[in-house]
Amino acid sequence: MYRIEQDRSRFREIVKGRLRKDLRKYLSSSELLGRRGDKSVSIPIPQIELPRFRFGDNSNQGVGQGPGKEGEAIDGDGQQGDGAGVAGDQEGQHILEVDVDLQELAEMLGEELSLPNIEPRGDRQMDSEGGKYSGIRQTGPKSLRHFRRTYDRALRRVIASGEWDPLQPKVIPIHDDERIRSCKPVPKPDSSAVIIHMMDVSGSMGREQKEVVRIKAFWIDTWLRSQYNNIEVVYIVHDATARIVDKETFFHIRESGGTKISSAYDVLLEQIREVYRPEDWNIYPFHYSDGDNWSARDTEKCITLLRDEILPRVNQFCYGQVKSAYGSGQFLKDLDGALAHDPRIITSSVEDREGIPGAIKDFLGAGS
Amino acid sequence: MVRSGPLPAELRELNVQIEGIARASGLDFFPVIFKLLDARDVNGLAAYGGFPVRYPSWRFGMEFERLEKGYSWGLSKIYELVINNNPTYAYLVNSNSLMEQKLVMAHVFGHADFFKHNIWFKPTERQMVDVMAAHGIRVRRYIDQYGTDQVEAFLDQALALDTLIDPYLPLREARQAGGPVATPLSPLERAKRSFDAASGSRAKEQGSVPAPARSHSPLDVLGFLAEQADLCEWQRDILRIVREEAYYFVPQRMTKVMNEGWASFWHSRIMTRSLLGPADIIDFADCHSGATASQPGQLNPYKLGIDLFRHAAERGEDLFQLRAVHNDVSFIDALVDEEFARKSELFLYNRNARTGAMEVSDRDWRAIKAQLLASMAGGGVPQIELLDADYEGRGELLLQHRFDGRELQLDQAGVTLSQVAKMWKRPCHLLTQSEGSGLRLCSDGEEVKRIETAENPEPEGDSDEQRQAS
Repeated sequence: MYRIEQDRSRFREIVKGRLRKDLRKYLSSSELLGRRGDKSVSIPIPQIELPRFRFGDNSNQGVGQGPGKEGEAIDGDGQQGDGAGVAGDQEGQHILEVDVDLQELAEMLGEELSLPNIEPRGDRQMDSEGGKYSGIRQTGPKSLRHFRRTYDRALRRVIASGEWDPLQPKVIPIHDDERIRSCKPVPKPDSSAVIIHMMDVSGSMGREQKEVVRIKAFWIDTWLRSQYNNIEVVYIVHDATARIVDKETFFHIRESGGTKISSAYDVLLEQIREVYRPEDWNIYPFHYSDGDNWSARDTEKCITLLRDEILPRVNQFCYGQVKSAYGSGQFLKDLDGALAHDPRIITSSVEDREGIPGAIKDFLGAGS
Repeated sequence: MVRSGPLPAELRELNVQIEGIARASGLDFFPVIFKLLDARDVNGLAAYGGFPVRYPSWRFGMEFERLEKGYSWGLSKIYELVINNNPTYAYLVNSNSLMEQKLVMAHVFGHADFFKHNIWFKPTERQMVDVMAAHGIRVRRYIDQYGTDQVEAFLDQALALDTLIDPYLPLREARQAGGPVATPLSPLERAKRSFDAASGSRAKEQGSVPAPARSHSPLDVLGFLAEQADLCEWQRDILRIVREEAYYFVPQRMTKVMNEGWASFWHSRIMTRSLLGPADIIDFADCHSGATASQPGQLNPYKLGIDLFRHAAERGEDLFQLRAVHNDVSFIDALVDEEFARKSELFLYNRNARTGAMEVSDRDWRAIKAQLLASMAGGGVPQIELLDADYEGRGELLLQHRFDGRELQLDQAGVTLSQVAKMWKRPCHLLTQSEGSGLRLCSDGEEVKRIETAENPEPEGDSDEQRQAS
């Protein structure tokens, strides 16, 4: 069924066009969260139907079939009932889910926010992924013999030695003529990265604040995934203490308690030191909070940790503050005050969902 | 085209056996050709409305996507597809069990008989597989010539209007032409017409393009636009193509309950009387009851249809006569009575204004019947007619929704009206009712205005003749 594949890809193109057009809407909505597989996101597309003259929903009555006394509620919403008999070929108002490649989604995001591609940190290069058979040696397995070069050498030798007879153009390579392909290692920029999401789940972070964080985390993941081959994600939540959680927990947790930000930075540092060493990994920590910290002394400790331990080891540290009804927002001011000059730290503050695209651009716009 | 092999020997034998039983039972059909496909190909075919080759459109791709998703999630599965054509093509899915294939084949012969004998199908094109393919070629040619974007946009515009046809027109025309309806064309004649239609004007002079004659029904707004609107030739041709295909599918919409009921009645009878072995019986019962299950608040056409035919059989009526002369509306009108409503547990439901829940409101068979008929009138789509092609002397179109108590979805109606206006290239108006008062929608192709009107559109019940006279 070749033709249907063409129509399907045309449909997908149209869907992607829509998606691109409405990307801002998706950027600040939680609709896509939890819809991501390894390679693709399944995106609900409402109403891509053609307009038609249709009946509305004013009748509120219909014919059904089954038991039940008058006044008894019927299960199901009975929406189809008034189309008695034509159910089945009436076009329903289904929401269709379409799988969009993560890479493509990231490209759209990049275009929408004009994000630069990330340049690998420093000049660190790894001899990753084998190499190419672009070298030539005189020894090696016969199966890799470079026929043309070998013949070339042999021909030269024959001509140089005066044995060449144009009427009997016989060329027999000897051992010295042989040229063998060899594998040359190709240095490649390393492409492993770790994203560490840290979220303040203390009492002052409300539902909406957490939602904003989750949406941001989703898009940041999507973008960084498109930039690195090998990516790992670590989720840390903290109130007065911090712990590593899995993705599910991170996206669904509700906690309450005090706030000690340094607890999260401690866990982060431990991860950097013991699991994700800067020699092997590009490191992207993101911290989200409403800016309320337990004490000024703990903030002091955080700043010291950042300056002396964390920033030297990471590609970029991002702090995203979400405005909440209870948070003072003090932490952002303190960070900016102490570390504003450092290009490795980026801070941004978000009032509500509308601010999400801006914050994502702040974080990812540096391209480091 | 479709990748399909010949039927395996086992199914070939079944085919011969079941066809024999069907004929012995009195069913009569064009030759039925079975093909075996995998689920994916069947989904592809279903997305095209059953035809392997049609014009390209993203809408088919969307339908395919939906069917594939439904199938891969285990929500829906297509057992079979039957195409109203001579020969009748039927597609079986190779993942069906042997029992299911038996059931499906018996079911298919029911449909095939219905296609051949029901009066609403008589005027339908019986070489539709070829016609659709020719339409596809024409549209592809326009795409090559004018570009995908332009052709696709126009096609979408035209498809939005494909309900603006008169479901009764083909039969009426056939009657007027006199005598038996189907006069099959020779392949040569068919090819010539297709060529003429594609090559444009020449055909017109010779009067051999089949479409134009129909445009005098006020409900055939699509036909009116195809002939009267100021369009390029390729656009006009696309409009005709859309219209011709819409008319082909109309009888299926008008006889959904009967058609499925008839096929289910026969698969049930053939299976239980002749084909089922002891080992099959549980699986058959499971499969059959799945197809005819009724969910609360919904009417399953298979269930309603088979119940009606069984009811008719009990009343001693001539089933073959019934299947030949009715459509769903007249069939229900003829058969639903007190006893049927009780046996089939039909009820009327209403939304409880206080709780918002749907509740059983009535079991009076007269009320049920009235509601059933009302909901099926016009094949379940709003009936919209052309009142005036020169509204107030400004060359604007005045359309009217034949209001039967069901209101239009106004937003959609506005957008659709804009499509009409774009096609007509002048403003268009639509009279309808909303919340008890008259309403005129007005579109110039871009903006839609809603104007309350004093004069209500006439109530339902007028016949075409009266309208044409007035």
